[in-house]
Amino acid sequence: MTIDELAKGVQEGKRRHLAKAITLVESNREADQQTAQELISKVRSAKETIRVGISGVPGVGKSTFIEALGNLLIEEGLKVAVLAVDPSSPATGGSILGDKTRMETLSSKEEAFIRPSPTSGTLGGVAKRTRESMMLCEAAGYDVILVETVGVGQSEFEVASMVDCFLVLMLPGAGDSLQGIKRGIMEIIDILVINKADGDQEKMAKNAVTEYQNAFHLLTPKYDGIGVEFLTVSSIKKKRIDEAWEKIQGFVSALKEKGIFEAQRKEQELNWFKRLVEDEVLRRLWGSETNKEKAAELVEQIKKGEITPVKAAYDFLSSEISR
Amino acid sequence: MSDNSSGKENWKKGVEKLLKGDKAESLNRQSPEGFEIQALYDSEDVSNRNVDPGYPGEFPFTRGPYSSMYTQRPWTIRQYAGFSTAEESNKFYRQALEKGQKGLSVAFDLATHRGYDSDHPRVVGDVGKAGVAIDSVEDMKILFDGIPLDKMSVSMTMNGAVIPIMAAYIVAAEEQGVSTEKLSGTIQNDILKEFMVRNTYIYPPQESMRLVSDIIEYTSEKMPRFNSISISGYHMQEAGADSALELAFTLADGLEYVKTAVESGLDVDAFAPRLSFFFAIGMNFLMEVSKLRAARTLWAELMKEHFEPKNQKSLMLRTHCQTSGWSLTAQDPLNNVVRTTIEAMAAVLGGTQSLHTNSYDEAISLPTETSSRIARNTQTIIQEETDITHTVDPLGGSYAIESMTHDLKEKAKTIINEVMEMGGMAKAIEEGYPKRKIEESAAIKQAGIDKGDITIVGVNKYVNEKEDPVDILDIDNTGVRDGQVNLIDEIKAKRDKVATKEALLAITEAARSGEGNILDLAVEATRKRATVGEISTALEQAWGRHTATNQTIKGVYESVYKSDKGYQEIKSKIDAFSEEEGRRPRILVVKMGQDGHDRGAKVVATAFADMGFDVDVGPLFSTPEEAAKQAIENDVHVIGVSTLAAGHKTLIPDLVKILKKEEAGDIIIVAGGVIPVQDYDFLYEAGVSAIFGPGTNIPKAASKVIDEIRAKKA
Repeated sequence: MTIDELAKGVQEGKRRHLAKAITLVESNREADQQTAQELISKVRSAKETIRVGISGVPGVGKSTFIEALGNLLIEEGLKVAVLAVDPSSPATGGSILGDKTRMETLSSKEEAFIRPSPTSGTLGGVAKRTRESMMLCEAAGYDVILVETVGVGQSEFEVASMVDCFLVLMLPGAGDSLQGIKRGIMEIIDILVINKADGDQEKMAKNAVTEYQNAFHLLTPKYDGIGVEFLTVSSIKKKRIDEAWEKIQGFVSALKEKGIFEAQRKEQELNWFKRLVEDEVLRRLWGSETNKEKAAELVEQIKKGEITPVKAAYDFLSSEISR
Repeated sequence: MSDNSSGKENWKKGVEKLLKGDKAESLNRQSPEGFEIQALYDSEDVSNRNVDPGYPGEFPFTRGPYSSMYTQRPWTIRQYAGFSTAEESNKFYRQALEKGQKGLSVAFDLATHRGYDSDHPRVVGDVGKAGVAIDSVEDMKILFDGIPLDKMSVSMTMNGAVIPIMAAYIVAAEEQGVSTEKLSGTIQNDILKEFMVRNTYIYPPQESMRLVSDIIEYTSEKMPRFNSISISGYHMQEAGADSALELAFTLADGLEYVKTAVESGLDVDAFAPRLSFFFAIGMNFLMEVSKLRAARTLWAELMKEHFEPKNQKSLMLRTHCQTSGWSLTAQDPLNNVVRTTIEAMAAVLGGTQSLHTNSYDEAISLPTETSSRIARNTQTIIQEETDITHTVDPLGGSYAIESMTHDLKEKAKTIINEVMEMGGMAKAIEEGYPKRKIEESAAIKQAGIDKGDITIVGVNKYVNEKEDPVDILDIDNTGVRDGQVNLIDEIKAKRDKVATKEALLAITEAARSGEGNILDLAVEATRKRATVGEISTALEQAWGRHTATNQTIKGVYESVYKSDKGYQEIKSKIDAFSEEEGRRPRILVVKMGQDGHDRGAKVVATAFADMGFDVDVGPLFSTPEEAAKQAIENDVHVIGVSTLAAGHKTLIPDLVKILKKEEAGDIIIVAGGVIPVQDYDFLYEAGVSAIFGPGTNIPKAASKVIDEIRAKKA
C-alpha cells in the first residue's frame, strides 16, 4: 500500500486503512516514523470532534461504561472510536489485550472502531502515539474519540493533556476512595462519575457525590466559571448513561462559548511540541556514548567525594551544551 | 510400634543402598495438588493421620454411599451421546440400550445450550454438531420415541437453557402418558461452574441462581425420583484444574446451592438427598481413586457441619464420573482405549454410581459407531469379565489410598475455607478467584508437557511416525439446520398464537417480579408450543444476556519454562522479528460459534504473550464477522482460531471470505483444537496456513506462526 493509497483509504473511512495507519504511527522503526508524519499531514482534518479521556482504577468498570456510552452515541447517529492505553503492560515480552471482550456489543457495531494498544518503548511514549492515532480516527470520520486509560503512573496526566474533557470513574463508598485519590488528579478532572450505582450501592453512591462535592469545593476551578460536574451511573444496568453524555456535551459547549475550546487544543499542541523537544533532547543527551562515559566518570568522583554534585553537573553540561 | 519403626528404618537403608547414597526421601514426589506423594506408605502413616474409613453405607461414607455397592448391583453404564437430529439420536439410543447400556445421557448441541433456536443467525455453524438439536417439545418427543420415560432414567447435560429443556422433557413425558412423579434421571443444572470454566451460561449469575432454585423447588415437590442438580467438577479438570482444585470448587459449589435453596425456604432434607455430583477421572490413578473417597467423606462432614440435616441421605455424596476427554490424544488414537480403561478402573475403584467412558476418537471428532461400541464395552468388560465388582471398596485399607484420601481431603478443605472467607463460591466466582486458579494450573501443566517433564505417549514421547487416518463421523450441519428450521416454521404456523404469546409474557413477568416458579410457567408455555429459543428470550427480556469479564493470566507458563534452551531460542526469534517489523507479532486468539470451552485458547494466549507476542483475546461466541472486524481494527498479523466443537468447516471459510472482502486477505489464519485430519485439506484449501492439533508443542507452534508471517510478507 503506498502512502497516498493509505491516506485516501483513511479519508474514505476504510477500517483496514485506518488500522494500518495506526500501526504505522505505533511502529518503532525510524523510517516508519517519517512516513507516519507524512501521512498525518496529508490527512489532517478540520472536522468537529469531541475528545474524551476516561480513567479510573482497575475494576471500576471503564470498559462497561465505554460499552454503554459508545452504544448510546451510535444510537444518536455518531461514529465512535475507542483508543485504549494500557501502561501496565511489561517493558519486555508481549502483552495480552482483552479490552474488547468487555465491550462485546460495541465492538461488533459498524459505527465503532476500537483499538487497544500495547506499550513497548515507542518513541515519544504513550502520549505521542495516542495523539496521532486520535487524529487519524478523526480523519477517518469518527465524531467522538474516547481515550481509555488505567489510573497508573503518569498515563492519566498524559491523556488529560490531549483531550477536551477528562472524565474519571469512581466506585461508590466515598470516604475511603477520597483518601485513595492520587495527588494532582483532582485538578485535572472535568467530570466525576460514580459507577456501579445500582441496588444496595445506590445510596452509597449518592453520599459519595456529596463528599466529593465538598472536597472539590476547596479547589481553584480549572476553568473560570466552569465547575466540575458530578453524577452517578450504573453502566451495567445502563442507568443515567444519557445524563453522562449530556454532561460531556454541556461541558464542551461551555468551553466553546467561553472561547476556551480551540485555544486549549492549540495550547495542547504547543505543549506537545515542547514535550517532544524535551524528550528528544534528553534522549540524545543520555544516549550519546561520550556523554555516557563522561557521566559515569563524574558519578564515580561524586561517590568518592572528590567533587560536589553541583560542580559535577556544571562540568558535565559545559562539556556537552556547547556542542 | 518399635518393630514397625525399625522395619521402616531397614526399608530406608535398603533403598539408600540401591540409590547409591541418595536419601530415601528423594523418591518422594510433589503432587500438582501441593502435597507430597511418598514412595512408601505404612501403617504408621495411616495411624498418624488418624484415618478410620469405617464401613460402606455409613457416615462419612468414605468406602461408598451404599452398604452393598457393586456386589449387589454394578454402577450404571451411562454413555453421554447425541448428535444431529432427534431422529438420528433416538436411533442411536435405542441401539445402545439393546447392547447393554442402562441409562440415557443426552448431549445437546451448542445452539440449544445457549438458548437459541436452530434458525437463529448466530448459530449457523453449531446446529446439530457436538449434540442433538432440540428446538421444541416436538423434537423432544421424537428423541424419546419408543423409550418409556417412566422406566428409563435420563440424564441431561443442560445448564444455560435449563428451563425450556426441563419443560420440554416434562411435557414430552406428559404426552407419552407419564406423569412427573414417575420421572427419574438427572439434570445438570450446575450454573456456577459455567461461570468458571465451561461458559455455556445465558443470564447473569444472580438471576441464574434463581432458576436453579426454582428447579430444585419444582422437582422436590413434583419429581421425587429426579436429581435436581449434578454438581460438576468434570469441566474444571478438563479446563486444567488439579484434583484438589476440582474437589474443593465442586463441593464449594454444592454448598452454595444448598445455601440458596435453604434460604429460599426449602427444608434441607426435602432436596439434599436428590443432589448428585459429577467428576472427571484422569490418568493419575491413585489420586483419582482417592479423590472420590475424599469427596464423599468431606461432603458428609461439610453438610453435617453447615446444615445439620436429619436424613442420613442428605449427607451422602452420589456421583457420576466420566473419563477425561482432555487426556485423549489425536496422535496414535488407539492408545486412548488403554487410557480410558485405566481411568474407568479408577472411577470404579473409587466407587462411582454411574460412568461414561469416552470413545478413542474424541480428540479428533465426534464418536463413530465402532468407537462408541468399544467405549461401552470397556465398562461391560470390567463389570462382567473381572472380579472387581465382587468386593466392596477393594482398595479400602491400603496404606497409600487411605493416606492420599486423607491428604487430598485436607488440601481441599483448606481451599474451601479460603472460598468461605471470601463469602462463598458465588462471591469467589465474582472475583474471578477459581477461574484464575484453574487457568494457572492449566498453564503450568501445559508448560510441563511442552518441556517434556510430563509424558504423554505418542505426543511428546514414543511418537508414532506414520499415523493411519481414523474413520470419523461427519455431520451435515447445513442439512440438519434446514430440517430444524422447517420444523420450527411448521410448529409456529400450527399453534394458537395468542395463547403462546400470553404464556411467554407470563414468564417475562415472573422473571421481572421475582414471583412464581419459572419452570412451572415454562411447562405451561411448552404445552402451548413455545420453542426453546422463545422461552429463553422471554427470560432474556427481563434479565439480559450475561457477558463475562475475561481475565487473562501472564507469566505462569514462562515460570516453568524459562530455563529451557529451546524456549529461549523462540523468544530470541520473536524479538528479532519485532526489531525488523517495528512492532511485536500480533495475534488474535478467537473462538467462533457457541462453544465455550476456552482452555486451549487461554493457554495459547498466555503462552504466546509470555514468548513475546502481543495477544488480542476475542470475546467468546464470536461470529466470523466479529472476529474479522476485530482482527482488522487491531491490525493483527495472524488470527488463531480455536475450535473444539466441529464448527470449523462452516465458520473458517466464512472468516476467510469476509477478510478478503475487507481487503485484509494478507492476515494469516491458523487453526487449533479438535480438527480431524480428514478436514485438513479442506481447511488448507479454504486458506488456513497451519493447523495445530491437540498435543501441539506451543513454542514450536509459535515458531511456525512466525515463519508463516514471514512467508506471507515475502
